[in-house]
Amino acid sequence: MLVSNTIKKQMEETGWIRRMFEEGINMKKIHGDANVFDFSLGNPFIEPPEQLIRALIDTLNDPVPGMHRYMPNNGYEEVRDEIAVYLREFYNMPFTAEHVYMSAGSAGGINILLKSMLNSGDEVIVPKPYFMEYKYYIESHGGAIKTVSTDEQFQLDMEKIDAAITPKTKAILINSPNNPTGVVYGEEKLRELAEILTDYRKKGKDIYIISDDAYKKLVFDNITLPNIFKIYDLVISVTSHSKDLAVPGERIGYIAISPKIKEVKSLISALMFSSRALGFVNAPALFQRVIGKFQKNSIDIMDYQEKRDFIYNTLIEAGFECVKPQGAFYVFPKSPMKDELKFVKLMQEEERILAVPGRGFGKSGYFRIAYCVPFDKIVRAADGFKNMGKRYIRKG
Amino acid sequence: MISKKISESMKGSSWIRAMFEEGERLKKQYGDANIFDFTLGNPIAEPPRELKKELIKIITSEEKGMHRYMTNSGYEDVREEIAGFHRERTGLPFTKEHIIMTVGSAGGINVILKSLIDPGDEVIVLNPYFVEFKFYIENHGGVMRLVDTKDDFHLDLKNIKNAIHEKTKAIIINSPNNPTGVIYDEEELRGLASILYESNKKVFLISDEAYRKIIYDGIKFPDMFSIYEDTIAITSHSKDLALPGERIGYIAISPRIEDAQQIIDAAIFSNRILGFINAPAIMQRLVKGFQKNSVDIADYQKKRDAIYDILIQSGYEVVKPLGAFYIFPKSPIEDDIEFIRHLQRYHILAVPGTGFGRKGYFRIAYCVEMGVIERSAPYFREAIKNIGGF
Repeated sequence: MLVSNTIKKQMEETGWIRRMFEEGINMKKIHGDANVFDFSLGNPFIEPPEQLIRALIDTLNDPVPGMHRYMPNNGYEEVRDEIAVYLREFYNMPFTAEHVYMSAGSAGGINILLKSMLNSGDEVIVPKPYFMEYKYYIESHGGAIKTVSTDEQFQLDMEKIDAAITPKTKAILINSPNNPTGVVYGEEKLRELAEILTDYRKKGKDIYIISDDAYKKLVFDNITLPNIFKIYDLVISVTSHSKDLAVPGERIGYIAISPKIKEVKSLISALMFSSRALGFVNAPALFQRVIGKFQKNSIDIMDYQEKRDFIYNTLIEAGFECVKPQGAFYVFPKSPMKDELKFVKLMQEEERILAVPGRGFGKSGYFRIAYCVPFDKIVRAADGFKNMGKRYIRKG
Repeated sequence: MISKKISESMKGSSWIRAMFEEGERLKKQYGDANIFDFTLGNPIAEPPRELKKELIKIITSEEKGMHRYMTNSGYEDVREEIAGFHRERTGLPFTKEHIIMTVGSAGGINVILKSLIDPGDEVIVLNPYFVEFKFYIENHGGVMRLVDTKDDFHLDLKNIKNAIHEKTKAIIINSPNNPTGVIYDEEELRGLASILYESNKKVFLISDEAYRKIIYDGIKFPDMFSIYEDTIAITSHSKDLALPGERIGYIAISPRIEDAQQIIDAAIFSNRILGFINAPAIMQRLVKGFQKNSVDIADYQKKRDAIYDILIQSGYEVVKPLGAFYIFPKSPIEDDIEFIRHLQRYHILAVPGTGFGRKGYFRIAYCVEMGVIERSAPYFREAIKNIGGF
């Protein structure tokens, strides 16, 4: 065998996604980019805030000797300090630089965290639908994914979560605002979750919440995200600046460890080891230097909210069933056909609209639209969605 | 809360930490300027001036979308440029498909190992070696098979031949070598190739070429791609362009590998699911125009000459390095860790050979200011003179 069997199997699982993408690329070649409505990628077309670019230029024009060298694996201390200041204020918890670990985006952060924590066979609970890569992240480090269905509104289902917990459970990985549903978990839900986990803690079983906060700043309708660090003690949050500062290609983010976790020192040492062993070594130096000062900034959230409103209204008018997203830049409507792969293909062929079938997120019968595209793309796609509705949604 | 495996791995290297802390203590006590720190492969060299200018040019270019995701393998134009560099260098039909941009060579090696290894597969590593190789291999369920090099740190072909069996999937070589500074010559590499061809198993040669451009005395670096068919080279720009903190490098998969496409696809997938996603965008653009550049090699060569002369004149036994920025002298006493402690009394910080799997030696990383090397001379001399107590 040329390549690893595991990799081969994992690649086959996702082979259909690839084929779809290839068809999409082909379609763009035939019809031209402008006439294909690609809602398949979570690759925001938005540019980073101007001040961020200016800060980069200032940093480079006033170079510090050694600014491209290795630094401690957890990142520059002054940057971790800046982030800790923000975290103290935002969460009202005594974060220090010691609780912050700079990572190569949240994908990098989650991987070094899982490697640091998981023993072979340990289980990680993931609410479904979910970002498919979680499965591979967990499996890469010897863990097992245990998916648990959410309710009709894509909110956490406590009974199911409780039932999924076993002696092997090490953590629950949540992502709110959520990819692919755009749902935000409210304070009450998270308190219920904390209650369950606290019960296990009392019985001597520590279960950690790993909170993938990649979309933390992308919340709409003036909602405040619940303070997860106040709700439960064993919380580790992984943040990315891919979405809020629109620099996904640069791979920058950080891990924030709750000050209530006593083993913070040994966890940091383990993270340092894991980031060296996995080959990350450290988060890219240049972007570390600037992002400390942009913890409170983000790209224009209102812009995303307007897009959310437009796409949501379009879908509802077209007759789709759909939970209104309160964050991120995804919407996850129900497919009018049970076989959503078929529907997504029809949408592609008939209306040149590209979306991702729900099975790509472990949930058949739905499809994901990523609306982080120029506004006029959404507007021009409206008729296409309406046509699909007319053709395939049975009234009454 | 920590993984048992990680705890164990970390425990195994606790003496490194103890040593590091002693070094920090010495620096505090005597001041940085009075301590000769040769422990870290973190070059003080700054990136070439033109590269710094180019970086500013890129950031101020106002081109749209330059910080977005791109294909996981990296920008096409960057890969095409690197492929062109390889075509020219090797005469082989490299295309952009054969190049995958990675998070340095540490990232690249992990990606390639994850793509190739099934649980229990063995990877041959030549001793002394960069210890992280062990962790890279074990990350993906592989088993490291250590094979000793000869006394001059060159390939011991007989040992290698004996180590190959059914489970062998790959051999990692690193030339110029960390920690020895040795460069494998064309003849021994051809010898290695014929051993690999003769084995009845496809064995990949993973060539860690992080130090490829740092070679001295006008030596020509043998081209692995021409010597062995199933070669995958991993390059980093940490050393040649002095950008270690920025994490940029690439994998070059030989066009001569049968079904190379399978490996390419697997590597792109692994790059994604290991969480790298892609190499940092801006650094990809930056290194595109600098494939033929490097930091000042003559400067490193002068430092090599200086440290080598100091060691020889003081009475140390040492193989003269032909590349990289390391030198690996024999410890004058058997216990290298003890000798490193002895050196610390003379304000010299170095890494014991034990840290590279080879007891009885120690590593000096001379990627420091020339002044540090020059001023260290009497201390090296005194240290070896006063080992009578052992």
